[in-house]
Amino acid sequence: MARHDEDVVTVGRSRAGTVTANTTGILFGLIMIFPVYWVLNTAFKPDSEVRSFTPTFFPASPTLDNFRSALGEELFLPSMLNGLLITAMAVAAALVVGFLAALAIARFQFYGRRAIILVVLGVQLVPFLALLIPLFLMLQKANLTNSLIGVSLTYLVLLLPYTVWTLRGFISGIPRELDEAAMIDGCSRPQVFWKIILPLTGPGLVATSVYGFIQAWNEFIIINTLNSPQKQNLMAWLLYNQTERGTAWGPLMAGAIITSIPVVVFFLLIQRNIATGLTAGAVKG
Amino acid sequence: MTAVDTVVPRRRNRDARAAWLLSLPTLVILLALLGYPLYRMILLSFQNMRLRELITDLAPPWAGVDQYVKALTDGVFWGVVGRTAAFTVVSVTVSVLLGLGVALLMRRVTRGVRLFMMIAMMFVWALPQLVAAQAFRWLTDSDFGVLNYLIDKIPGVDFANHSWFVNPWEGWAVITTLVVWAGIPFLAISLSAGLTQVPKELIEAATVDGANAWQVLRGITLPILKPLLTIVTTLSVIWNFGLFTQNWALRDSHPEPVYQTLATYSYTQAFGQSRYSYGSAISVITVLLMLGVMVFYIRQMFKIGEVD
Repeated sequence: MARHDEDVVTVGRSRAGTVTANTTGILFGLIMIFPVYWVLNTAFKPDSEVRSFTPTFFPASPTLDNFRSALGEELFLPSMLNGLLITAMAVAAALVVGFLAALAIARFQFYGRRAIILVVLGVQLVPFLALLIPLFLMLQKANLTNSLIGVSLTYLVLLLPYTVWTLRGFISGIPRELDEAAMIDGCSRPQVFWKIILPLTGPGLVATSVYGFIQAWNEFIIINTLNSPQKQNLMAWLLYNQTERGTAWGPLMAGAIITSIPVVVFFLLIQRNIATGLTAGAVKG
Repeated sequence: MTAVDTVVPRRRNRDARAAWLLSLPTLVILLALLGYPLYRMILLSFQNMRLRELITDLAPPWAGVDQYVKALTDGVFWGVVGRTAAFTVVSVTVSVLLGLGVALLMRRVTRGVRLFMMIAMMFVWALPQLVAAQAFRWLTDSDFGVLNYLIDKIPGVDFANHSWFVNPWEGWAVITTLVVWAGIPFLAISLSAGLTQVPKELIEAATVDGANAWQVLRGITLPILKPLLTIVTTLSVIWNFGLFTQNWALRDSHPEPVYQTLATYSYTQAFGQSRYSYGSAISVITVLLMLGVMVFYIRQMFKIGEVD
């Protein structure tokens, strides 16, 4: 194999050391990926192979039966639709509302700005589940339990602080000189926001909404508490399914794969944003 | 001169008004759906709200500090607190150390291996928590789980039909493994990004001067990594202290007493036993226990926020 000089950080590194490191690295990767691999492996096995005391590392006769049976479950498709609807409503609302607040924090110096930042950062740390009891009682009183709207509202609050904070970062990244140039050319402040900042925040809006999608899609405790089995999302269906028929491992793993696909795809798309966004700030501090 | 004097404050005033107007929808939503519930939670914890009040819509009777006294004098509650704290300490320590180790390892392996490690971690990171928990439930299944099968292969060890959750130490080992496994990608990838900030020249100079790998790590790498290390550790503490999904799913939505953490205990008290006030009191105590860590985190974030 060719030498990668740029890979070598320290001088005087032994060949044996690299071999050891590579072996450890490969071993680590294999252990990490194994559970994921096992889910896939199980999902494509017929029931006779799933329920076998000598598990095989490849499906001997691969089948799509498990996927068919998961998709055929009475509540699977409704749960998927509910999940999509709730997620779309919460993410869209969080984006619109959050963008406005992010503009204020990023572009204005005003009395109370620090307080707003403190609120936005602080509420992210309140364990949301702790608020589930009063939220449940409030929504119950407002007749919003067992409704998609009620869940969307709670998800909106779940996503909003993060949305504001992230969009603020993206807007801060746009040079103020652009605003000023546009204003000299006769743009009003709203026009600057609409014509300069909004288009330039595009990638940020996409990244933020994708992250919001993942958060809302993965949530199952709140919806499980607020809604009846008919109005669950896919993740809650996965939990519900488990208690209903605990040992149907094949269909359960197939359902888990279908549920994970949108999240995994989206995550891999914005992965760079999540990782660099976090470290860029922390390294500077 | 006078024109400028009057224009600037007026402009600033208008700016402030616009900024508050823009922030208003966010503030209203946060106030109504976060601030008010927070207030209600505290209020509830001083009342005695049970199923009867929920159904009849009667005002729950005032209970003073009864709920808190009940919790703080209950051995079961203290058991939950101790368990949650112990789990947090162990799981955070293990995951941060492993994350750091993996990040350092990623600097030493060749490019292809590094890519493989990245891809493996990305898939684990992307996996929804509940799906990961279900995967582990299946891996550790007593009848057909592959874990028992593999361990059983070791000569002289009989693990056929072994139940992992009969002995709480083993059960918690499974839960901790799941949490650590799922947490490593975030930690390792963030820390390895942070490691790129360590100047090569510094390490080279130290090595030339005769420093060994351990001295380089302690003297150069760790001090530069410290702010990032602090943030990721704080976040891990906050996340792991609030453990819910993993023990909930691995115990079939009905965790036995030894598998309860503060989050599941408060939830079970409220929604399982209809003790809404007692559940709220436990939540309040949980938040109070975490307050120090949270304030610390916010101060760190504020420092970073100030930079840009």
